[in-house]
Amino acid sequence: MMLPPALGFAGQALRSLARNGLQTGLALLGVSIGVGALIISIGLGRGARQAIDEELRAAGANMIIVTSGNYRPQGDAQQEGGAGDETWLDDVPRYIGVDPPRFARSFSGAGLIPVHFEDDPTALHDHPTAKQRLGDSSAGLGAAATLTRADAAAILHAISGVEHVASGVHENVRVYAGADEKGRVWFTRLHATDADLAVIRTGWTFPHGGFLTEQQVQSGEQVMVLGRIVAERLFGSGSNPVGQNVNLWHQTFRVTGVIGTRSWAAQPEAGDDQFDAVYAPVTTVHRLLNLSKLNTILVTTKSAGDVTATAKQIVALLRRRHHISDKAADDFTVKTQAQQVLGHGLPPQLARVVTGNMSGVDTLTIAKLGVSMERANVTMQWLLAGVATVSLAVGGVGLMNLLLLSVTQRKREVGVRMALGARPADVVMQFVVEAVALSVAGGVLGTLIGAFAASGLAQMLHWSIVVSPLLGAVGMLAAALIGVTFGVYPARRAACVDPIEALRHD
Amino acid sequence: MRLISLRDVKKRYELGGAEVHALRGISLDIEAGEFVAIIGPSGSGKSTLMHILGCLDRPTEGNFLLNGKDVSAMARDELASIRNKQIGFVFQGFNLLPRTTAVENVEVPLLYARPSVRTAERRRRALAALASMGLSDRAEHHPNQLSGGQQQRVAIARALVNEPSVILADEPTGNLDTATSIDVMRLLQDLRASHAMTIILITHEPEIAAYGTRIIAMRDGVIVSDRPNTARVT
Repeated sequence: MMLPPALGFAGQALRSLARNGLQTGLALLGVSIGVGALIISIGLGRGARQAIDEELRAAGANMIIVTSGNYRPQGDAQQEGGAGDETWLDDVPRYIGVDPPRFARSFSGAGLIPVHFEDDPTALHDHPTAKQRLGDSSAGLGAAATLTRADAAAILHAISGVEHVASGVHENVRVYAGADEKGRVWFTRLHATDADLAVIRTGWTFPHGGFLTEQQVQSGEQVMVLGRIVAERLFGSGSNPVGQNVNLWHQTFRVTGVIGTRSWAAQPEAGDDQFDAVYAPVTTVHRLLNLSKLNTILVTTKSAGDVTATAKQIVALLRRRHHISDKAADDFTVKTQAQQVLGHGLPPQLARVVTGNMSGVDTLTIAKLGVSMERANVTMQWLLAGVATVSLAVGGVGLMNLLLLSVTQRKREVGVRMALGARPADVVMQFVVEAVALSVAGGVLGTLIGAFAASGLAQMLHWSIVVSPLLGAVGMLAAALIGVTFGVYPARRAACVDPIEALRHD
Repeated sequence: MRLISLRDVKKRYELGGAEVHALRGISLDIEAGEFVAIIGPSGSGKSTLMHILGCLDRPTEGNFLLNGKDVSAMARDELASIRNKQIGFVFQGFNLLPRTTAVENVEVPLLYARPSVRTAERRRRALAALASMGLSDRAEHHPNQLSGGQQQRVAIARALVNEPSVILADEPTGNLDTATSIDVMRLLQDLRASHAMTIILITHEPEIAAYGTRIIAMRDGVIVSDRPNTARVT
């Protein structure tokens, strides 16, 4: 089969298709419905996958939490010693403990009234790192603050799968409504963080104002965003505290926003960690408390599937940055949210309901849930693919019917062509080219129908359907394949025409 | 030069369970440049003979040498190639492809030529063949926009375009009126003179056969007479 005759056939093909207008139109419609069904089913499958991925991300499946310190020596450290073997302590210098002059210095910041120690039970962060004090990074085991904002920046820039990074310093604080300590008071949690936290917490809404801005974090402004519970306790429920002042550590913070929730599963409650909390720029807190370290770094990945790999990269990066030798244990802990048990993050009542009604939910993690949702989605995709295949086959049969009709009508033409030197293969080629031309035309139409129907479904039923140019190409390919598959039989019939009989004058 | 040589060619086929002897032993030599008219009533076997001469069919028995090559046992693809290169068909019903312009009709044999002919070259040769038939101004017309005579001239141009060794004309004037028939026959005569073309004409009309240089009469599957045409129309 050579190309030039095939190209020569294309024009002929279109002309002969025009002859059976109605039949051609119907066959075209059949193919396009099949292709349209294919487009919609693939689009639905991909949409469902994306929706699942989004749900998992919202549930925190793409979240990695890096915490200062490491309570659990691992790897070589464990092999060397383990419990009871304290030989590594021999390396620890004799003056283990806090250096008193240094400790005092940290609380004598210019114009800053020292914070009472009992107000701030976790204020250990100004300790020099274990490595600085002891010359031994193994001593970072425990709760010593070892992470820096530079570590956070490095994670964001050096690891490609990372989407957002938020630094965290966490304190228990007493906040007062108003500029002094005469207003209402509430004992709560302070999260000193970056502007990106709002992007990570996809479940958040801002009924008043907004989250900390990049600008406020850069310049270390004394601004604060209140969780809804705090806002209610300090300013009364329903009031808008934006623009009001809050007193913390004898300093005045301006309120710039209130955080609410869009998720039914995470209703604000006194004592929870997100809405019974206040948020301030990490730079501001570092300056006021004269700190330079972080308690946590919160990392999200672009895809929920990358979490494990990204977590490993973070461990490697931080070990390098902290100059931890191969034998020593990490001075930080990297945990992924996906490994945590589902019941863990739920509000107490909800957790009781869930664990009470579903067996095994106490061992169910987001990762496991993701796998089973994915499996259900694959099953549905196969079902849809089956429906699409059936409609494609029906379209193909319609096409074949038209081509057989065409072969019967054009026996004489086939005979003439054979008399003029067409070989059987040339005749087959001509009819297959016709079939493909027709089915690809149906494919174009079907892709348009499919894309149109998909966007209609997405809008009317709020289904998530993903249609891409690549999907259009898949539609064309499927159409061409249908053309070849269902065009071969009629084409072979045409090639079997006896020229003598076809040319017998009537 | 001997172009065609048939030796004791027989053709039998089944028709409704009965065996039909269409050709009962034909021996025939045709030299290049001859204008042979084969005449006979219907059922005489002249159409079967033409199918064999046109390589559309193979003899049941006997040999057929075309340009010295035995084509009686060739495969379908080889026969298609012989038809394409060596034989130009002209049919009674013209058999032009409908909804296809005159020049595209003339291009069809070039479409199947091997080695393949480029598009521009196809167009050039088709237009030249149409010009030689005096149809340059009809190149873009569809068959249904042409008169019967014009259609048959397009068909002759199509037969000529691949420069065959022989033109097989099967009742070429069967669908034409007398005046147009005379035009077409003169055209074939001119072709023989100008291109030294061999022409084999099948007809049942003695007046049409009278244009040939040699007349072969058939009856019941055998040749009953084979003589030079003394009363040739010129």
